[in-house]
Amino acid sequence: MYEEPYRWVEAVGNRRQYLDEQFKQGSPVVALTYDGGILLTTVSKGTPKLYEIYDRLALGGMGHPTDLEKLRFSLLEMAHVEGFNRSPSDVTGSRLIKYGIAPVIKQAFEEVYKAPFIVRILVAELGQKPEKDALLTINYDGTFEEVTGHAVLAATTAIQGKMLTYLKEQQQATLSLEQALNLALRAWAIGSMAQQQDEADQQAEAKPAASGSGSSSAATPSSNALIEHVRGLASERTIECALLERQAPGTSKYRPLKQSDLSRLLPAALQSVVAN
Amino acid sequence: MGMQGDFYQLLKEQGYTLGSSGQVGTGHVLTNATTILAFKYRDGVLVAGDRRATAGNMVMYDRTDKVLEIDRHSVMAIAGVPATAYEMVRVLEHSFKYYRRTQLQELSFDGKLRAVSKLLKENVPAALAGTGAVVPVFAGYDLEQGSAKIFFYDILGAEFEGVEYAVSGSGSPTIRGILHYLNTWGEQPLNALPEEQAMVQALRLLTSAAEFDSATGGVNREASLYPVIKLISGAGVQTVPDATLKPLYESQVVRYV
Repeated sequence: MYEEPYRWVEAVGNRRQYLDEQFKQGSPVVALTYDGGILLTTVSKGTPKLYEIYDRLALGGMGHPTDLEKLRFSLLEMAHVEGFNRSPSDVTGSRLIKYGIAPVIKQAFEEVYKAPFIVRILVAELGQKPEKDALLTINYDGTFEEVTGHAVLAATTAIQGKMLTYLKEQQQATLSLEQALNLALRAWAIGSMAQQQDEADQQAEAKPAASGSGSSSAATPSSNALIEHVRGLASERTIECALLERQAPGTSKYRPLKQSDLSRLLPAALQSVVAN
Repeated sequence: MGMQGDFYQLLKEQGYTLGSSGQVGTGHVLTNATTILAFKYRDGVLVAGDRRATAGNMVMYDRTDKVLEIDRHSVMAIAGVPATAYEMVRVLEHSFKYYRRTQLQELSFDGKLRAVSKLLKENVPAALAGTGAVVPVFAGYDLEQGSAKIFFYDILGAEFEGVEYAVSGSGSPTIRGILHYLNTWGEQPLNALPEEQAMVQALRLLTSAAEFDSATGGVNREASLYPVIKLISGAGVQTVPDATLKPLYESQVVRYV
């Protein structure tokens, strides 16, 4: 029945709805450039969401862990074969995304008889110079975007917009690692709070006689409130951070931050959560 | 598939072969014109090699680096045909990285050794034909066991552990005896030498090798050419800069020559 064009459009529409539903419980991912390189942060539940792809490439993901693994492996495979056959400097994030996984994700999304990839992916690329740093995001339908400065993955485009606005307001020209980590966690909290709010709104809508949806347009919470939000969730989740460090020795620039690093770098209110 | 984290397998699936098989039985004499050595010292293991590359009696190049860092904690020193040796190092480097990134854990030291043997075994036809023999020394720091390790190989890929030291290349017979003597009757065994003393011994050993082997470069002070010396400890691989070797050579090696 999908042979008819209308049906196909309808099916793809349904698929979007289904996929959007899948990300509701996901944890946002924030990537920021700081004075020493690029920082990736999320507060994950269960499975890790930040990975090393190549010498100067890191990956952050949202969605189904198995789908994420599948795409992570194809990225790793492509990157290493290219790096071996040509040279490590020929492995670039934009080639991997544009010619590597984007077509695969798009095809899976549009083949309505088959299962789509339930993923949103962010690839951070550390350039030889700071101005060459790039952040790439790709959605479950294969649309990709390349930006500089900061990028996020979130449950919906509206939430993503909120997080980006917050980052734009708050990001200074140069950030130290501590400042970047603090900002990234606050941006994460904006996303996480908005997700909770959306869910609450939906439940309210389901029940009759809700007094409008005024709460969703509330003012931006204070920094303390945002950090407090992360603190509230951190006990049952893990604060995950990874760096692409320009000055790191050797060719591999990726370094996940250990508990001991975090307890030193995190905002004071969060240090105790990580320590135990 | 890549799911096992085996990069070499992945390359082979894409049609890659290491070196050319060549024609077996050309009767070419194998030359491993170089000197490489590794011994354990107080903080880990020292690996050193001269810098000369030869073709027959020609000196091709005097700035070769035969002591190659494969990852943060392992080094391969190469004697034999450079083209094959460098290619092996490239395969190993990518294999270890690929394993770590796919499997989210470091390849064990034994796993690394196995990977070296496997490449040497694949290379046997080329080695026997005389076009690609490689006789490496693999040294590193086993983080799980907290100890330095040295292994050497024959061209067929058999693996031997060098308990205190290992040597390879045409200049090696000369210094093998010296190492034995030093380790057995020296003032202190090799594995008790502090860093600086270890470097001095390495310079002396390579100078001795160069004295008796025309294919070993030794030290060329006029051109400021010093051997490549790498130190591997729990903190990782460290390449000793020429600026450190120069005064050591001048104060503790040169006057004895």
